[in-house]
Amino acid sequence: MNGSARLRRLASYAFVAALVVAAISCNEAHPNSTLTPHTDLGREIDFLWDRLLLLGTIVFILVEVALIYVVFRYRRRENQGTPPQTHGSTKLEIAWTLIPAIILVFIAVPTVRTIFITQAQAAPGSLEIDVTGHQWWWEFRYPDYGVTTANEIYLPVGRTVNFRLRSADVIHSFWAPQLGGKRDVITNRTNYIWYTPDTSIAGNVWNGFCVEFCGASHANMRFRVFTVTPQQFESWVAGQKMPARFGAVGPAAPTTGPIPPPHEGPAVTTPGGPNSPTQAAQAAAHGIARQSSGTGAVGGTQPAIPRPQNAEANPGARLGAAQFPSVAAASAAVAQPGYIFPREKVPDYAIPHTPIPPGLKFTAGLTGNAQRGLKIFSGAACIGCHAIAGNPMAMGTTGPNLTHVGSRIAIAAGRFPNTAAYLALWIKNARAMKPEVIMPTLGLDEYDPVLKAKVTSATGGLSDQQIADIVAYLTALK
Amino acid sequence: MATTARPAPEHSPDAYGEHSGLWSWLSTVDHKRIGILYLYTALFFFMFGGVEAIIIRAQLGAPNQHLVSAEFYNQLFTMHGTTMIFLAIMPLSAVFFNFLIPLQIGARDVAFPRLNAFSYWVYLFGGIFITIPIFFAVAPNGGWFGYAPLTTRAYSPGINIDFWVIGLQILGISSLAAAFNFLTTIINLRAPGMTLMRMPMFTWMAFIVQVLLVLAFPVITIALVFLLFDRFFGTNFYNTVSAGADPLLWQHLFWIFGHPEVYILVLPAFGLVSEVLPTYSKKPLFGYPVMVYSGILIAVLGFGVWAHHMFAVGMGPIADTFFGLTTMLIAIPTGVKIFNWIATMAQGAIRYTTAMLFGIGLVALFTIGGISGIMHASPPADLQQTDTYFIVAHFHYVLFGGSIMGIFAGLYHYFPKITGRLMDEKLGKIHFWLTFIAMNLTFFPMHFSGMLGMPRRIYTYDSGQGWDLFNALSTAGAMIFPIAMLIFIYNFLVSRKRGEIAGSNPWGAGTLEWTIPSPPPEYNFAKIPTVTSRYPLWEGKEVDYEDARINSQEGKTAADLGIIMPYSTIKPLLVALGLIVMFCGLISSRALIGVGAALMIFSLYSWLLSPLEPEHH
Repeated sequence: MNGSARLRRLASYAFVAALVVAAISCNEAHPNSTLTPHTDLGREIDFLWDRLLLLGTIVFILVEVALIYVVFRYRRRENQGTPPQTHGSTKLEIAWTLIPAIILVFIAVPTVRTIFITQAQAAPGSLEIDVTGHQWWWEFRYPDYGVTTANEIYLPVGRTVNFRLRSADVIHSFWAPQLGGKRDVITNRTNYIWYTPDTSIAGNVWNGFCVEFCGASHANMRFRVFTVTPQQFESWVAGQKMPARFGAVGPAAPTTGPIPPPHEGPAVTTPGGPNSPTQAAQAAAHGIARQSSGTGAVGGTQPAIPRPQNAEANPGARLGAAQFPSVAAASAAVAQPGYIFPREKVPDYAIPHTPIPPGLKFTAGLTGNAQRGLKIFSGAACIGCHAIAGNPMAMGTTGPNLTHVGSRIAIAAGRFPNTAAYLALWIKNARAMKPEVIMPTLGLDEYDPVLKAKVTSATGGLSDQQIADIVAYLTALK
Repeated sequence: MATTARPAPEHSPDAYGEHSGLWSWLSTVDHKRIGILYLYTALFFFMFGGVEAIIIRAQLGAPNQHLVSAEFYNQLFTMHGTTMIFLAIMPLSAVFFNFLIPLQIGARDVAFPRLNAFSYWVYLFGGIFITIPIFFAVAPNGGWFGYAPLTTRAYSPGINIDFWVIGLQILGISSLAAAFNFLTTIINLRAPGMTLMRMPMFTWMAFIVQVLLVLAFPVITIALVFLLFDRFFGTNFYNTVSAGADPLLWQHLFWIFGHPEVYILVLPAFGLVSEVLPTYSKKPLFGYPVMVYSGILIAVLGFGVWAHHMFAVGMGPIADTFFGLTTMLIAIPTGVKIFNWIATMAQGAIRYTTAMLFGIGLVALFTIGGISGIMHASPPADLQQTDTYFIVAHFHYVLFGGSIMGIFAGLYHYFPKITGRLMDEKLGKIHFWLTFIAMNLTFFPMHFSGMLGMPRRIYTYDSGQGWDLFNALSTAGAMIFPIAMLIFIYNFLVSRKRGEIAGSNPWGAGTLEWTIPSPPPEYNFAKIPTVTSRYPLWEGKEVDYEDARINSQEGKTAADLGIIMPYSTIKPLLVALGLIVMFCGLISSRALIGVGAALMIFSLYSWLLSPLEPEHH
């Protein structure tokens, strides 16, 4: 009796603990759950999962209850003699061979059906996206539209998207858990996976991950998927097809011609010193980098290109380093090229919270000048790896395409938020920001772990002011 | 058992007289002493792998933590997997292969005693070889699965992967030599009357495992030779920088080895609980023939399911269907084992000893791993599960809930046979309950973090992803393991010296190994018994009392009884040493290759020319 009372008390503790965990867990948002599918593929998988979970739970309960019953019921009693020496029972053993076999049939049949449905070729007219896995970032190309971007993709809802997966180096795996299953991205091979985002998920952001171990920064190879309405998608594509512009997007912006003259860039708000990286990170993560235009910072205040027709609709044109079009602006922008997912609507889980690694400093209060930044960028190591459509000097292909880098919400494949503060540190010392990243250290006097030397001006080192100028240039590339 | 005075049992290693001391251990060819060497070495590596796991869990306890760097984390998880599989669980199984197989089949030693010593020394040196680099932060860092082309020179230029490739080759030599040895032993050295269908279930499972080893290890050997050639001599098997290489070749070869390897890891534990559950239920194993056949079936099917590790690879619907269905099929014989174990206990007289608790723990926990296994046998469902923490949860229920629980059951069960003394049951039960709680608290939440989208092998994760709570729980659970392990080690070391004297059959078990003294004399059986049933000690009418009387005589040496035993010799150790030096040369100085080869060839020559044992008269 004593034993069973103790057991009951233990069981009730365990039950209460489980309830507490369940309650906390329900409070926590689950932005990457595989259990809330939003595509056709996701639902096919979820149907199988529900059946597997149901049958699995039944088997689990039956086996564990039988085990617990047997273990308690047949405990040795006082003075108990030798129990019956049974050696087996053919009937029973046939039964527990056949019953699992029958259960498995109920799993196998829908499994095979689903395999053939989901691995058929994508329907004609699907949106083709070429995905290239790199150590450690994602390159996305829309071959039908001539658009190239990195680490962030826009998908129109209701239209099947067919991802064509290739690798530039080692094996990666492409996965956006809320949208569907994963598919490996394999060297010397081409793989496919397709699904159709539900129309109900327009206006959402989803996290994606590399899920095949691919080296040091495997954990830092994330991407974002924006599911938008077909109209917004068309507008976004039209904007992406245009060459790089400074802050302005819209029909008024020339699509050809010389490099657009820049206007004043944003201030680079950086951590106030080594003591406050967290504060800076928080500020930056929430897009509170300060604007310079209102504070009388140096640099021309008149944009040399025509202002967009609707400056209000494009606050980006007003040079806020971290500002993105407002919700109202987003809907207004539908009719014109250059839709960007409104920054205010980006949920917290899609904005990186990675703290700045210790030991990184950036001179406080510098104001960047985008025009100077363009010149410095075009003459620095940057152009060896990065392409910027519209900048004839920037033709590199080994790094992410930066044509519209200012419109992205994150840098470094989802490791840091795309704000002036993070971008400045990233350019200054990428290798300290992300383990073993291929991008070299550029900040003057910074230590480069690969070259095992300090960066000097002879090796292309950039001063904080020069970096601030580049940041002004890049953040203006909407 | 209730003896108050506790003298050393007469056949304890201390009582061997001339056989004690360091030299006797270095030159031993006694399967029991080699088993003990395996035991201490494997327990050390088990704790070493455990420390690696603790650091991994500490890093993942909260988002965006940076206790260790990404580079070091990748070394930690690679070495955690490699250590636990090749240096802990396989050798812990080898402890029982060595110690038990000859005892269970009524033999005086294994078929090739010196080869047996060689296997151990190669394992020890290989284990050291692959473990040392982590102290210099240059440990292997490509994952235990070592996917090409990440592991080729182009993407892993350092010596990290060299240690892994060469280390696994070395350990493969040890496993293969041991496997042939045990196969020959089981086939040829069974006592009269020990038919195959009278063999104890542990020996049966060990037999199947040796077959798996012999068939699976050559595949990984070939895969590693290819990788070694790619890295050292510029061939193009997986080196995708050049044309024509196919990284999927590695994956297929690796998993053709890798999946049978899972059964290599878990079948010995199945064998051990198949000894433990009947003993403490006082009932023969339920459905013995079906247990044998299901073991064989698992082994056969185990070679036809490898590509279920590759459902995200895009092999096409036919291959996915085939491997999905074979994987589901393998659940049937596995399920039969679970049901038969429960039926073994049903209507029995169950004693809750520590060994029994671990045995019951295996049945309870392996069931969970089996069920989650079926969940990713379905290829489309696996697309949401593979490479997430759901898989980490699954295989820890299989390898911890299965293998480790079974091995602990075996350790508590056979400790008295190995040392002649009993372990403290109270501490044992605390160890069990702490392990059971830690195990579930660590690994059950991983099912959730996986289904909530957390990828595997990430050294850090961002906050706000919905994974914080489950990771915190897993880390809290992991911190209990060291406490449980310290209690075990304390109990082990103290009981070894001061535990109660066990006697030949403290648990009232039924199989042959319990008819002889604990610890057994070096010759095991004074008179080779004639076996007439599966549980000779239980089916009393069939016991040959003359045999039992002779075998229970203590204190007689082999010489007293005129039994010829093999000479002890240092040569297997020297051959193993030469082999290792030779391999070390591959990554340091080429001159070392010559030195190692010379030592190996000379020692081998000398070994082969010296007689195994005194001439028979």
